[in-house]
Amino acid sequence: MVTPVRRLLLSPSMIQLFHVSKYYDRRLALSDVTLEIGKGEFVLLMGPSGAGKSTLLKLLIGAERPEEGQILVQGRSLSKLRPSEIPLLRRKIGVVLQDFRLLPKKTVFDNVSLPLLVQGASTVEIRRKVTDALRSVGLDHKKDLFPPGLSTGEQQRVCIARAIVNGPIVLLADEPTGNLDPELTSEIIELFKSINARGTTIIVATHDPNVLAQVNRRVITLDQGKVVSREQVCS
Amino acid sequence: MLVRRLLYLLREAVANVLTNRTTTVVAVATTAFTFACVGVFLLLYVNLKTMASSLEQDIQVMVYLQDDLTEQTRSEIELQLKADRAVGSLIFVSKERALADFQSQFPAESHLLQGLGQNPLPASFVVTLAVESRSSDAMRRWANRAQSIPGVAQVQYNQEWVEALAGIVRYIEVAAIIVGLILSAASVTIIANTIRLALYSRREEIEILGLIGASTTFIRVPYLLEGAALGLLGSALSLVILKAGFELFRHEIRSASRFLGVDALLTFFPFQMCVVLVCVGLFLGCAGSFLSLLRFGEGRA
Repeated sequence: MVTPVRRLLLSPSMIQLFHVSKYYDRRLALSDVTLEIGKGEFVLLMGPSGAGKSTLLKLLIGAERPEEGQILVQGRSLSKLRPSEIPLLRRKIGVVLQDFRLLPKKTVFDNVSLPLLVQGASTVEIRRKVTDALRSVGLDHKKDLFPPGLSTGEQQRVCIARAIVNGPIVLLADEPTGNLDPELTSEIIELFKSINARGTTIIVATHDPNVLAQVNRRVITLDQGKVVSREQVCS
Repeated sequence: MLVRRLLYLLREAVANVLTNRTTTVVAVATTAFTFACVGVFLLLYVNLKTMASSLEQDIQVMVYLQDDLTEQTRSEIELQLKADRAVGSLIFVSKERALADFQSQFPAESHLLQGLGQNPLPASFVVTLAVESRSSDAMRRWANRAQSIPGVAQVQYNQEWVEALAGIVRYIEVAAIIVGLILSAASVTIIANTIRLALYSRREEIEILGLIGASTTFIRVPYLLEGAALGLLGSALSLVILKAGFELFRHEIRSASRFLGVDALLTFFPFQMCVVLVCVGLFLGCAGSFLSLLRFGEGRA
């Protein structure tokens, strides 16, 4: 008989979690979470505030370590990563946050070029890739502006451009539409869909029902740190 | 690739300094003042040491002979002294020569000796010790040894002077080390606090860099460079302050007639020592940055 864990080990997955638990000062943030996200999948991580969505994303980028269980990204166990290898993992994973986290004193171009700069890309490569990323989010004409001079939706798009500029294998978004109105939310979701169409695995953590209505993909629902449903929605 | 990254890191270090301009100026000024305090002790130590060795060069040991010695005994004592490796050179001063010297040096008091009828001054050897035997300890040991030679009445030298000066130099040395350590720790703390302020003011940027895969080195280098620059500027400025203070002091000494000739003995740090002091400042600056980075805990994922 093939157990669920055995099935996960055999599958061509991008992300696998096996019985992962995480505590913060004895308070349970994630409890015995086992799940699999395939290559090129678009997954919504739903649940109320405090359900464990952000904790799960933090575990995936190595910002936190689980107390129990195993996390594999592209078959590589995160618990076996040395601290010096964590930056290398993060270069493969783009992150989009609710509060954008843009540097206000750097231009849009400089903000987007940061991931390439830390990897030591050449000037020519930086110019080409940043222009492409900005074009894909529709902001190439605003590359010389500073973030405070942009609208909220534009700032989120710059954040997305920064997350995809070095061609990540996975894009994690934590409440990416939390600060946006419904119209801008649609814009951002469409952007994620087009990025996903190019093969990038996308995980969006949200509690916004508007996102759920527009995405129509697999939904994993968390509540009080536990997976309560794994609904598969066909688009 | 590497050049571009280095340029970026340098640009970031300069940006750090410019963003926290006031803090940087205060940190450089405070560090300079702290280093200058250490420098005063060092300067005092260097000058007293120079003076002590200069005095030791001039110190001669007087070996007074008994009055009733035969010429042969005197020659034997002279041979024994000359054979001693601690003796650099010696001059024999006969009783007659001693009297003549006294009369020429103190003509007003020469009548005091006339009443005695006979020459009361003893014959002596004026001994200049070899360079390696000029420390106060070596001098004391040699004087005790010479005192035990048969026919020697008394051995005299400016023991108090030499020992007092050696004692002062030792105290200054210890004080310089203690004050140096305390004030160096203070400098490190000042620089560490400045860097910590810079780290807090840019913590969001540091978080972002960590999130997008910047290595710990990439994040730390600008702050280490900033700390090094603060230490370097602080120590360089302290040398300027010390040099100005030193020249002012020398000018004052020169104009005060009672210290005639003392100003010529005063010396500032040689160039090599200035370079070493600037390097120490640079190192302490790096240490301050490093401490702040450790406490700040960036890059630990």
